[in-house]
Amino acid sequence: MPLLGQLALALALILAIYSIAANIYGLRGGHRDSIVSARHALWAMCAMVTVAVGVMWNALLHSDFTIHYVASYSSTTLPTVYKITALWGGQEGSLLFWTWLLSIFTAIVAYQNRRKNLEIAPYALSVMAGVAIFFLAMLNFVTRPFVLMAHVPLQGTDLNPLLQNYWMAIHPPSLYTGYVSATVPFAFGAAALITRKLDDTWIRTTRRWAIFSWFFLTLGNLFGARWAYEVLGWGGYWAWDPVENAAFMPWLVMTAYLHSVMIQERKDMLKVWNLALIGMVFGLTLFGTFITRSGVISSVHSFTQSGLGPYFLSFLIGVAVLYAILLIWRVNDLRSPAEFESYLSREAAFLFNNLALIGIAFAVFWGTLFPVLSEAVRGVKITVGPPFFNEVNAPLALALIFLMGVGPLIAWRRTTPRNLLRNFIAPAILGVATGLFAFAAGLREWYVLAAFSLAAFVLGTIIVEFRRGVTARRHMVSEPPVRALANLVAKNNRRYGGYVIHIGVIFAFVGIVGSSFFKTEVKRNVKPGQSFTIGAYQLHYLGLDPTETAHVETIRARVEVFKNGHEVAAMAPAKLFYKAAQQPATDVAIRTTPVADLYLVLAGYDDASGSATLQVFLTPLVFWIWLGGLVMAIGTVIAMWPNVRERAAIAAAVRGRVENAELAGEPFAGGQ
Amino acid sequence: MSRKLRFVIGIAMVVAAIGYLITTAIQSTSEYYLTVNEVHARQNELRGQTVRVAGRVKPGTIRWDPDTLTLAFTMMALPAAESGGAVQPVSTSPPVYYDVISKGQPRPDMLADDRDVIVEGEIGSTNNLDARQVLTKCPSKYIPEKKG
Repeated sequence: MPLLGQLALALALILAIYSIAANIYGLRGGHRDSIVSARHALWAMCAMVTVAVGVMWNALLHSDFTIHYVASYSSTTLPTVYKITALWGGQEGSLLFWTWLLSIFTAIVAYQNRRKNLEIAPYALSVMAGVAIFFLAMLNFVTRPFVLMAHVPLQGTDLNPLLQNYWMAIHPPSLYTGYVSATVPFAFGAAALITRKLDDTWIRTTRRWAIFSWFFLTLGNLFGARWAYEVLGWGGYWAWDPVENAAFMPWLVMTAYLHSVMIQERKDMLKVWNLALIGMVFGLTLFGTFITRSGVISSVHSFTQSGLGPYFLSFLIGVAVLYAILLIWRVNDLRSPAEFESYLSREAAFLFNNLALIGIAFAVFWGTLFPVLSEAVRGVKITVGPPFFNEVNAPLALALIFLMGVGPLIAWRRTTPRNLLRNFIAPAILGVATGLFAFAAGLREWYVLAAFSLAAFVLGTIIVEFRRGVTARRHMVSEPPVRALANLVAKNNRRYGGYVIHIGVIFAFVGIVGSSFFKTEVKRNVKPGQSFTIGAYQLHYLGLDPTETAHVETIRARVEVFKNGHEVAAMAPAKLFYKAAQQPATDVAIRTTPVADLYLVLAGYDDASGSATLQVFLTPLVFWIWLGGLVMAIGTVIAMWPNVRERAAIAAAVRGRVENAELAGEPFAGGQ
Repeated sequence: MSRKLRFVIGIAMVVAAIGYLITTAIQSTSEYYLTVNEVHARQNELRGQTVRVAGRVKPGTIRWDPDTLTLAFTMMALPAAESGGAVQPVSTSPPVYYDVISKGQPRPDMLADDRDVIVEGEIGSTNNLDARQVLTKCPSKYIPEKKG
């Protein structure tokens, strides 16, 4: 069986190379069937990688320890679900999984564009095949997943216990999906540069792919944060570790891209900028893999360090140089007749939103690479920790939130001050009132006051915008308000989905600010029967409770939680001991309410006396981060949802056999 | 003033502001990131400063008191072969050890003999470190214990 997997990967590599060759031959000589054959080769490549993944999953599920990877990342006692997730528990498997996603997306793009975008799709598919060749070459020659064991062990080494958690089961696939799907808009951008078809066809064609990528990057980051919160047991969710930064940077740049392409679609401006942004997103996905795998930057979660780093760096530099050359070569074709007219315009707001997002991304990049840079320049490694990132990003985040309120409400081209006043008076009053209320409630941190005021202001602008749409609609059609709202969103899903995402961002922002500024911590060594207090809670420690299974030993501390004399919860933080890996782990207990999370860690225990040391965090508003994430996800789904008008237009275009790539690509890019 | 120039000035101001933020934040928050041997070489200069030190847990030195959450262990240098070049000159100086004490934090799950750690803390007068944070590297792969 392992041989089958290896064979499939070899065939996939050959098919990817063939596909590019067939495309070049077909495009040069006008051989249409050669281009069709190139497409079929990509489907076959996808099938081959799928076979390899199937072989690996089969081996994991049957604990086939003849394969080195299975023996290293699984064991017979590992629960079935984690045998499945062990596919991305180690390096070879992660790369295999990555390649699989890439081959699936390539196959889908090939299918989507089988009858449209005939001028640029073969180039875009060749770019994707080129990326696939790099990953398949890694899998075939450098980090081979189907290496056999010289001596087959009876038991595997087991999956890292920290990864045996449901968030970790879904965090890497989400992030990888986000990373890999960013290849699609990048490939079309590169294809547009090669073919000189530099209108916004490439953007419209891949708009959904970009949002899809952003969706999974968002989820991937949030799942990772949630995992850190639940598993690492330090009461926080984000530590600005290089690995986290590597996931955060593409998200930031993709966010900038999604906003600035609207200016191009609308005003035919910022063409170079958009192409540069999507190039950066793709580069950052490779960079993320490079820094986590190369050991260049020390990270707490350093993965298996391997010889992979130089390959990724070379590929990254190669792609960056080629892309930059393409961009410079075409720069004269990318000049825009339009220009910015006024600071009081939506395009100006978007421009500064882009600057703030890229500014944050650059600060994160700089802080992440600083140890390497300082060593190169001054010969000594200097690190910057979370204080650096917080100090730089806090003011930029405020600016972004402010622009988020301004952007959607001000007109394209220019706005008169009077217009501005009319649109913003109600949200501004709401913002100021919130600030005053918070001040009266005793908040004195200027940052928190500003943050909460701005959050209220932005929510106000979004409400104004929804209300305006509903009112306008009810003037034209007589509908009850709720129906009007539903129809409004359905007809302009891209726009209102965007607003829903903004609401989610505001929720998450409030949660981040609240949990960063008002976290309290208590540590107590308690004997059974003793109690102590944190905030409004009384914690009553009952004793230790040991249990054991074949896979894991558990010591649980039983704690009753009282508020105002009433029992509100029974909590049981634990220490676990994984037998196969000979590794302890922490299982925290969390009680979540919208106001604050109560977070219990069993920091230490004494078997003999039954005493325990409990570390307790009371963290306000964390709940809103996860709720915000959910709202952002819902908003993204709304924005991605196929629009009825859009579908009808595509059908009409196909009926009319319109070969005009622009029309067939994405007839209705936005409902604005 | 032309529109274009007005926007160029605005953008330049924003970029300058971000640059200023980054520079000042780096000055106020940066810490040395050193290996055990490097810290030892600059011991006098660094005394009392907060630094990050990378090293390895000396086997058999971990002491943990769960009642007071006091963790103590001895940190040694990472083997030269793993920290840099392929061929290292044979060292003639005696190995350097640092005694790490961490108070009030839970014992990191991944802490064990011979594991790589990064300790953030204050350099004491002798070879000791008052740790604010002990970070353990979590390898995604385990090397099974050799028996016998």
